[in-house]
Amino acid sequence: MARDTWRMRVECAEMARQIVPGQFFMVRIPGLSDPLLGRPFALYDIYERDGVPAGIDFGYLVVGKMTSRLSQLRVGDRVELWGPLGNGFPVPEARRLMLIAGGIGQTPFLAVAREALGRRHYGSPQRAVPRSLESVSLCYGVRSSAYQAGVDEFRSVPGLELKLATDDGSNGHRGFVTDLLRGAIESDAPPDAVYCCGPEPMMHAAARLCASHSIACWLSLESPMACGFGACFSCVTKVATPDGWDYRRTCVEGPVFRADQLALGEH
Amino acid sequence: MREKVVENRPYGLMPRNGQASSRPCFDDPREFNKENGVSRLRVRLNRLELANPVLVASGTFGYAREMQAFIRFDRLGGIIPKTITPQPRAGNPTPRTVETASGMLNSIGLDNDGLDAFLSKHLEYLLSLGTSVIANVAGKNRDEFVQMAERLGKVPGIAALELNISCPNVAHGVDFGTNAKLAAEVVAGVRGACDLPVIAKLTPNVTSIVEIAQAAADGGADAVSVINTIQGMAVDWRRRKPVLGAGFGGLSGPAIKPVALRMVFQVARAVRIPIIGVGGIQTVEDVMEFLVAGASAVQIGTANFYNPSGAEHLVGQLDALLEREGVADVNEVIGTLRFPDGTGCLR
Ligand SMILES: Cc1cc2nc3c(=O)[nH]c(=O)nc-3n(C[C@H](O)[C@H](O)[C@H](O)COP(=O)(O)OP(=O)(O)OC[C@H]3O[C@@H](n4cnc5c(N)ncnc54)[C@H](O)[C@@H]3O)c2cc1C
Ligand SMILES: Cc1cc2nc3c(=O)[nH]c(=O)nc-3n(C[C@H](O)[C@H](O)[C@H](O)COP(=O)(O)O)c2cc1C
Ligand code: FES
Repeated sequence: MARDTWRMRVECAEMARQIVPGQFFMVRIPGLSDPLLGRPFALYDIYERDGVPAGIDFGYLVVGKMTSRLSQLRVGDRVELWGPLGNGFPVPEARRLMLIAGGIGQTPFLAVAREALGRRHYGSPQRAVPRSLESVSLCYGVRSSAYQAGVDEFRSVPGLELKLATDDGSNGHRGFVTDLLRGAIESDAPPDAVYCCGPEPMMHAAARLCASHSIACWLSLESPMACGFGACFSCVTKVATPDGWDYRRTCVEGPVFRADQLALGEH
Repeated sequence: MREKVVENRPYGLMPRNGQASSRPCFDDPREFNKENGVSRLRVRLNRLELANPVLVASGTFGYAREMQAFIRFDRLGGIIPKTITPQPRAGNPTPRTVETASGMLNSIGLDNDGLDAFLSKHLEYLLSLGTSVIANVAGKNRDEFVQMAERLGKVPGIAALELNISCPNVAHGVDFGTNAKLAAEVVAGVRGACDLPVIAKLTPNVTSIVEIAQAAADGGADAVSVINTIQGMAVDWRRRKPVLGAGFGGLSGPAIKPVALRMVFQVARAVRIPIIGVGGIQTVEDVMEFLVAGASAVQIGTANFYNPSGAEHLVGQLDALLEREGVADVNEVIGTLRFPDGTGCLR
């Protein structure tokens, strides 16, 4: 899809029928004990055959053991995967929805945009999207243009407004993707809901911006996971409670959280 | 756009509300024959009797609810839920796990909601699953172990207690497991406080695990679980920091199997106490190796994370393997290893 960035298509009709944008699944290469554990990946999109869901696509950046192995698989090879897991992004009830993606954190947003704009339906039973939406825009920031993945696909979604940022200015706004969010918030048509996925500092900055303007904000967290289904307690994050915070499992209570549920300041 | 098409082999599906919608699909042709299996696979560890020797290890199976989409609980020899402490514990800072070569390090730190929450939220469900439930407990001192044993001993339906005297992830948690005198005292205290069979779960992070196993036997343990995780560390050299939030962690997975086998055999050769083998077990071959080395039962741990229906398959595979080998009763193979010097297990 871009430098070090790949897309994988997996035949799995049952999963494709059930999964909703923002949910994830675990992927593993059968028979190997190194890498041993599954790795979590978000739904990029489902694909259909003869009008029915036939499988899923996911997009990934090569960062370590499993992702480099995955990039060496060939057509017809088998992977093991389990899911759908976790809670996806909520069905947008906003008028102006803004999606903020940092780096490979863009992967959930093609499906989110398609669903929000009524181009595709997800889930079993299918989730219905209210027709209150006036606009959906995606702000997508990466290090440099070589890492911009799937831009043509985003452009092909009718009605999706795309704004790009690069740290080095090689394409689009030079600077952080959160600059684009600030610009939108200060415009005369600010978003009333923000969905965010990317590196932690970027998500925290976006959450703070939204909080200071009372805009509802959801974050999709990228916690290290060993199982994906709640058994290991690896993936915890600090969730705000009446008397402070408590660790909760990202894989079952997230990965998508409302930003104001999280105890973001606690370290 | 570069693209790859691959096929998957699904384990099962877990919809977003966490309820099982479709049965996990199994492509294992050797279906478990319950009637044969029950008689062939039944094992006894002093006062604890199990339908078969395949258990799932504490901390790797949640409170079982998490696994329901993947596995038929009533096929298992038993379930050991996550360690319970008297009071709720938040657990350790993140990151709590990191994968290492053929294994993983964890420093979960006994994150749990405490004994009251276990009794009110999880126990009824666990006891409804048609398999033995072995409660695993950890206390900061002997009194905490004894008090928990008193309360759990009054609950009908629990099959046994496993004492986690070996968790490397909590300060002071490891003292009982590394000091023979303390280990014997804790086991004896728990034995006196309830009528349940008592299993002591031992740490490998000692000079002589045989000495601790002997102490547990002297204290009146019905069995020992061998082993908990091996203390380790992962380093992020660029940041000059350990990878795990707690600094150190416990190593588990296939990487530790040879250490676990060695310790099971050493204990089996020296101490007259049934052993539950734990450490890196994934396949039926692994199960057989532990049984031969002296374990009367085994626990599946880390493998549950990446093969969540695997423990169930192992029961069927073990039954089929024994049949192929012409073994009428699993007890015939337990402890049959002969060491090069002529020594063997005490059976
Ligand atoms: C819900 C969810 C959804 C996700 N969706 C996607 C997605 O759609 N696309 C995507 O690309 N990614 C996604 N991720 C992230 C993805 O899971 C990870 O990139 C993947 O697990 C990496 O696996 P790996 O084996 O290639 O890397 P690993 O080898 O496991 O390493 C992972 C990272 O940790 C570092 N690391 C590992 N071990 C050490 C060590 N000992 N010391 C220091 N650093 C270390 C590596 O340098 C690397 O940056 C998602 C994560 C979550 C939680
Ligand atoms: C993530 C994780 C959490 C664990 N939590 C506990 C626990 O709460 N109590 C306990 O007695 N053992 C715990 N263990 C240890 C396992 O029960 C088992 O003894 C160990 O992992 C070795 O077996 P394995 O290699 O099959 O995983 C934990 C292990 C892992 C990997
Ligand atoms: S990844 Fe295992 S509990 Fe969340």
